[in-house]
Amino acid sequence: MAERVELERECDVLARYLGASAGDEYVRAQYRAAHDAGVVELPGTSSFERTVVAVARHVPVLSRPLDAHARVFAPSSLLRRKLVLLLAILEVRAPHDEELDTPTGSSVLAMFARMAWLGLVFLAALFLGSLLSLPIWLISLAGGAR
Amino acid sequence: MRRVVVVGSGASGVHFAQTALERGAHVTLVDVGRTAPAPVLPEASFARFKREHADPAGYFLGARFEGVLFPGAKGEYYGFPPHKSYIFAPLDRFRSQARGFDPLTSFARGGLAESWTGGAFPFHESELRDFPLEPRELQASYGTVAGRIGVSGTDDDLSRFTPVHDHLAPSLPLDAHSRVLLERYARERSRLNADLGVWMGRTRAAVRADERDGRHGCTNLGRCLWSCPREALYTPSLTLRALLRHERFTYLSGRFATRVEIDAANRVRKLHVVELATGRSEAIDASDIVLAAGTLASSKLFLDSLRAHGGSAPVLEGLMDNRQVLVPFINLAMLRRRYEPDSYQYHQLALGLEREDPRHYVHGLVTTLKTALVHPIVQSVPLDLKSALWIFRNAHAALGILNVNFHDDRRPECQLALEADREGTRLLARYEPSREEPERMRTALRSVRKALSRLGCIVPPGMAHVRPMGASVHYAGTLPMSAEARPLTTSPGGESHDVRGLYFADGSTFPFLPAKNLTFTLMANAERIARRWCDAQA
Repeated sequence: MAERVELERECDVLARYLGASAGDEYVRAQYRAAHDAGVVELPGTSSFERTVVAVARHVPVLSRPLDAHARVFAPSSLLRRKLVLLLAILEVRAPHDEELDTPTGSSVLAMFARMAWLGLVFLAALFLGSLLSLPIWLISLAGGAR
Repeated sequence: MRRVVVVGSGASGVHFAQTALERGAHVTLVDVGRTAPAPVLPEASFARFKREHADPAGYFLGARFEGVLFPGAKGEYYGFPPHKSYIFAPLDRFRSQARGFDPLTSFARGGLAESWTGGAFPFHESELRDFPLEPRELQASYGTVAGRIGVSGTDDDLSRFTPVHDHLAPSLPLDAHSRVLLERYARERSRLNADLGVWMGRTRAAVRADERDGRHGCTNLGRCLWSCPREALYTPSLTLRALLRHERFTYLSGRFATRVEIDAANRVRKLHVVELATGRSEAIDASDIVLAAGTLASSKLFLDSLRAHGGSAPVLEGLMDNRQVLVPFINLAMLRRRYEPDSYQYHQLALGLEREDPRHYVHGLVTTLKTALVHPIVQSVPLDLKSALWIFRNAHAALGILNVNFHDDRRPECQLALEADREGTRLLARYEPSREEPERMRTALRSVRKALSRLGCIVPPGMAHVRPMGASVHYAGTLPMSAEARPLTTSPGGESHDVRGLYFADGSTFPFLPAKNLTFTLMANAERIARRWCDAQA
């Protein structure tokens, strides 16, 4: 039961990170079902990867740095797999599909400026994520992954 | 009129059968015949479908989430939806092994063309140079088949590469992205033609706008990728459904053809089949058998038959397939616009690269990505997923993919052979790309990038994806048509030069493979072979 609650909380946190409203019951059920089907966590997943997910779940503000770090250094890691799975579920479910796939309506100039800004944010997040990886690694060694 | 047994209900089999029936023959069609799931919410648009379907994740991603493209998985920018998996589901009785080649086979009603994208591009006269027949013979069959299936297109710049035939219906309305590209092409046309040898025009697609033969016209539901629920996009199973109403047509589904029995005079006598549900073997008497199960399955059946007849099976040389390269692009004029799900989803435009040798023509299909799944593309952006999503939502309407196709020649090193073991026989496929291929691709892709740039698009560096051989599923060439009666070839009428009464009506008879999608030519060639067969009977 506790595991189910944690998984649903994780689903909501990651959904908000991706820019959707918190997952509805259907999204949560699908997210759980994918985990039950064993397609998310593969054999060989390290305790470090599990700890990264646990940190992202409990401290939502760290989702972005941890994702940025994973994108560069561990693109197939558990956090990225969970994010991609959730994105796949959200994109086929109304109204989340609209939330994730509607243009923001800014001018071209503003759009390119925003893209440049996102590039900088990514670099900052990557730096922060890299800094975080050391304490997370230590926590994972201490068996902190939940 | 005589009887004929046809093996396979794909593009070739059903059009052979239809012509033979129209000309008075009795046709028995043997097929494994796996069926498609029933259409769901057939009148709902793509967006409405997501709102109204009780389990959209089950539909789009599959019951075991097999439609999710996880990071690091080998995949394409868009893949086959889970509910189309029945088309490619393997069959234990058909065993194969491949080197340098990723073969796909189908045991579905309608065969591999149940998942085609409707490209209906007739071969040009120059591309038929190795075919031992008058081009006008095939031209007539293109018209006949177009009348049956409904092909839309326009007589435009691309007609210099893809001839206009009878029964060409008007093209469907363009989506906004394709319209922008075509308008830009009109402005840049002379430079693109003269400097790069690039020509652009409306695609030819087996999709109809009008209602006919129980099929509804396209109403832009936007569900093409997920199987058109209105049947506006043609698939061979629609022809099969019509054939089932014919009194001289017998459909034996759930049967796997194992071999053709050949007598001492090298003439066919029977077709041996296994009923899959019971495992029971049966033999069907036949004096004329048409193999139309696709190049791989027909070749294996032929080799198994020769092995049973003479104790050994030869090696079939000349296996061909089109190399395809997917070139994603961003059309800057379409940034920040709302993407357009309510439109025809497959290619609406095509692009041709003129080459010095017209047989080396390079063919491109322009698909503006609208209702393909988002997550495979977003995760490939080299940013965190939140930033990548922001960029994607503003660029979605601007995304497109150019699917660049290259021709192939028959070469001895590309082969099909048979290997026997305790469990039976296995088809061994071996493919080696030609030595010229890398340079040919490099040159063509350079022109493509320049052309896209002049059309106002950018190609993100490093994103072009060379698909593995076998992925295009345009297999051909193992028993080519030949005017001379050489071993392991077929006559211009499709009859084996080794076994009398044994006909091949699929891609195995092609002596050359142009860069174009071959399915329309498969249908036309099967129709042509059926006409010849009927004339010979008469």
